[in-house]
Amino acid sequence: MAICDEIRQQLHAAFAPTHLEVTDESEKHRGHAGWREGGETHFRVVIRSPAFAGRNRIERHRAVHDALGRDLLSRIHALALDLGE
Amino acid sequence: MHDIDTRIKDMIDNNDVVLFMKGTKEMPQCGFSSRVAGVLSYMGVDFEDVNVLADEDIRQGIKDFSDWPTIPQLYIKGEFVGGCDIVTEMVLSGELDQMLEAKGVSYSKEAADKIREANA
Repeated sequence: MAICDEIRQQLHAAFAPTHLEVTDESEKHRGHAGWREGGETHFRVVIRSPAFAGRNRIERHRAVHDALGRDLLSRIHALALDLGE
Repeated sequence: MHDIDTRIKDMIDNNDVVLFMKGTKEMPQCGFSSRVAGVLSYMGVDFEDVNVLADEDIRQGIKDFSDWPTIPQLYIKGEFVGGCDIVTEMVLSGELDQMLEAKGVSYSKEAADKIREANA
């Protein structure tokens, strides 16, 4: 499965989002550190979910890191997060 | 406590503001590190830059220490603030100003306002 789809699947399962965008921005980072041919290195994720209610920024980010897991995170270079209720 | 944890703790205890980053503030080696270092410099915040690329123990150690998988990581007066997304959001919302003021770290309010105007 493409990493993009894996991310989407995990986030759906963890947060039941009302809005979810997972964008592969690797091409914007062509030639930068961590970039590789074929993309899937730099991702941007936008989530809106009631699951974030009552959690501060660090807690929201940590919840996403936990949902994706160490293995998946180790396979990508960058993950930009925009998290809200 | 591991040696590396002690070293990291010393760094964040002995400096008001510490940015663990890829590269240095003069020569950042990653766009995300560059953005945070650039914003802090522009805001006139005096900060210690720690180049994780120069020390593999710190590069892994800081991720374990903070329980945070990515670099850059910003600490203010010993408190973990976050990475590039969180710092950017806090600059734009004015929360970083409040945090610096509450912790008695000097910065230029005027420069911070200019960043917000440019991104409004």
